[in-house]
Amino acid sequence: MGVIHQPSSFENLLITTRVEKVMNWSRATSVWPMTFGLACCAIEMMASGAARFDFDRFGCGIFRATPRQADLMIVPGTVTYKMAPTIKLLWDQMPEPKWAIAMGSCATCGGPFDSYHTIQGVDKIIPVDVYIPGCPPRPEALFYGFMKLQDKIMTSSLADRYREIFEEVG
Amino acid sequence: MSDANLPETPAGPYVYDYKTAPNRQIELPKTVPLPGYRAYVAEQKAQAEAEEAKWQKQLADYETAKAKAEAEGKEAPTAPVKPAPKKNDTDMVFPAPTEAQAPDLLRLMELLGDKVEEAFEQAGEMTCQVGRDHILEALKLCREDASLKYEMLADETATHYPAATDFAFSVVYHLTSLARKKRLRLRILIPEGFEPQSATQIYPGANWLEREIWDMFGIRFQHHPDMTRILCPEGWEGHPLRKEYPVVGWGQRDIDFRDDRSGMLNRIALEKAGQLGINLKQPKAE
Ligand code: SF4
Repeated sequence: MGVIHQPSSFENLLITTRVEKVMNWSRATSVWPMTFGLACCAIEMMASGAARFDFDRFGCGIFRATPRQADLMIVPGTVTYKMAPTIKLLWDQMPEPKWAIAMGSCATCGGPFDSYHTIQGVDKIIPVDVYIPGCPPRPEALFYGFMKLQDKIMTSSLADRYREIFEEVG
Repeated sequence: MSDANLPETPAGPYVYDYKTAPNRQIELPKTVPLPGYRAYVAEQKAQAEAEEAKWQKQLADYETAKAKAEAEGKEAPTAPVKPAPKKNDTDMVFPAPTEAQAPDLLRLMELLGDKVEEAFEQAGEMTCQVGRDHILEALKLCREDASLKYEMLADETATHYPAATDFAFSVVYHLTSLARKKRLRLRILIPEGFEPQSATQIYPGANWLEREIWDMFGIRFQHHPDMTRILCPEGWEGHPLRKEYPVVGWGQRDIDFRDDRSGMLNRIALEKAGQLGINLKQPKAE
């Protein structure tokens, strides 16, 4: 049959790679963030998602309305003491693998609010992968931060994320 | 470039000194900037008197200098000139308060009699200060009297005056009349611990405003349906808009976290305590 006499098409069908790389690639190009905003930075995040800047080009535009379907938590804005337990709860509800971006000065270090009601950086309550400075960061800055996160995902190994667990199990 | 031009490298990592940080220090105001006609008149009078006293002293000094010069046979000193009152002819001055002339204020004064402590106008705004036990009556009149008809409570807030001796707070009610397109301000002065009547009995919209006042200033309102905190989390210490409250609070921000589900803040607290040389770690139970 014709198919047998065409060995080159068989080569066209096959790609050899590592499982980890495929998984990382698929994860990095379909990061679903959570619909969630805290302050003025959230407006900038919405602008990034809208037509002019179009976050979707990076595979990151499907803002999910529930933490259970989200991979990425962009924390855009001021983290107050009153809001912190809620943010922590949402983070705990997100399934692994999950990432967090601290967007803006407020989420990275408290920003202009060196006062009684603001937690000085969201990293006091959840682990953060990428910090984006700016008040607010421009959409380009958010994209750059997100591309940095994609780099991080591409270079991560499955063992990295679960090293603690693996080491415990032995 | 030689090394001598470089700034000196600090010996260790930069450590923020929380204890001496400027936003930890409290500076209480020494004046009572409470707007009012009577206070304004008194201030003007005191100022004029001070200037007059200064002028009299100058005159007396001149007289003595003149007598001395005459006795010594020298030339007499030049006579002082009375300074003309300073005139500020820019239009940037804030208008001074004037006596109540608006019909609304007159009507209120007529209806409430001596329960009105002070009424004045400033920059086209009407202000009426009533006795602190009669605020409910005044609000009721404002809402229901046919010639006043202030049917909306636009805002209710308070101010802290720690330098004042006979009161500690002013509670301010901003009323709006949509039908008559007018605004009126009612004000009461209350001491620490006084509980004014809740305006929710007349304007139900005062509910959250009064909760905010309780949260920020610690003023409780009688007969309020739900006197709980609204902005700060439950169980917060202190009332942040009081003047004696430091900007960074009383330490909640640094160490304690009230709802620490994952134990992460607990770990931060342990670390911080470790830096301060306090061992908070509990020995592990076997
Ligand atoms: S960093 Fe600036 S823009 Fe962003 S939330 Fe804070 S104050 Fe607003």
